[in-house]
Amino acid sequence: MFSLFYGLWKYMFSKTEFHVLILGIDKAGKTTLLEKLKSVYSNLEGLPPDRIVPTVGLNIGRIEVSNTKLVFWDLGGQPGLRSIWEKYYEEAHAVVYVIDATCPSRFEDSKSALEKVLRHEDLQGAPLLILANKQDLNDAVSSEELARYLDLKKLDERVYMFEAVSAYDGMGIKESVEWLVEVMERSKRTETLRARAGGPASA
Amino acid sequence: MGILFTKMFSSLFGNKEARILVLGLDNAGKTTILYRLQMGEVVSTIPTIGFNVETVQYNNIKFQVWDLGGQTSIRPYWRCYFPNTQAIIYVIDSSDTDRLVIAKEEFHAILEEEELKGAVVLIFANKQDLPGALDDAAITEALELHKIKNRQWSIFKTSAIKGEGLFEGLDWLSNTLKSGGG
Repeated sequence: MFSLFYGLWKYMFSKTEFHVLILGIDKAGKTTLLEKLKSVYSNLEGLPPDRIVPTVGLNIGRIEVSNTKLVFWDLGGQPGLRSIWEKYYEEAHAVVYVIDATCPSRFEDSKSALEKVLRHEDLQGAPLLILANKQDLNDAVSSEELARYLDLKKLDERVYMFEAVSAYDGMGIKESVEWLVEVMERSKRTETLRARAGGPASA
Repeated sequence: MGILFTKMFSSLFGNKEARILVLGLDNAGKTTILYRLQMGEVVSTIPTIGFNVETVQYNNIKFQVWDLGGQTSIRPYWRCYFPNTQAIIYVIDSSDTDRLVIAKEEFHAILEEEELKGAVVLIFANKQDLPGALDDAAITEALELHKIKNRQWSIFKTSAIKGEGLFEGLDWLSNTLKSGGG
């Protein structure tokens, strides 16, 4: 009897947990973003940017926003490591794609890596947030300019947004997270993942 | 280098007792790594229960080493060494391609242990000095590291003999533990 009520209670009140992948080529600022997220949304300090080394593996950040739990998976972006990204697609509710907006010479690399991500069927319907990062630097291009550079086709079937951010000073971070939570809560992808996990509250 | 490491870890756990397990198949280079770090004397003990555990006590952190694989009868005793483990350093002989499958199985088995659920994982793809050693991407694939989704992990190419890669890895480890772990 207890377990029945407990189940119901859990069903009604437990927080949804969303998995968000942070992707992008090396030196885009993914881990700096992750650490910023931690320091803005949790009581953890987060590593200062000068202590951050290139990621060769998985970094995880868990934060809570209002009644929603977010788990961020930050994966290494060096060419040899990108093959591992797809192993995490199936369970991801959304993708944050980070681009160094001060480095036009690497936009092409960013674009082709992103196009590959978007083609993968395991990510079908996953909302996409593209971040024009490093806005704290003078030569950063705007999010509109970046969107024009990337000229992504077939994006319109997907919920997406471009946002200008600075993982260094925190500009645009809150707006980004609010958008993510909002779109994930009502995305079809979330429904699909829930159904697969076999319960309304699990993820 | 040893002194740098000393500074790095001395403030990390405060006065808490902490444990870092250094695991891997036999002959992966675990003990060589401990010697390379020059933190203290490696004490080898063979307890009556029958497996060999090497310990380096460094301030309040215990580094403990034993071989995975082999006899299954003694495995339950491993659990005596699990409580308060903050990190696992898994050492691979990157040139021993024949035993990579066993190394993978042992690795995932140990990660299943309830008391190790919170530990972050650092992988040393060791023996990079040997011909035919697989690189970090290949070891990542072979060990199926992508199956780890609930804790932080990182892999480093190392050569314990030459002393390469070890401190980069430990730097990651101390940063990760400092920023809140897995």
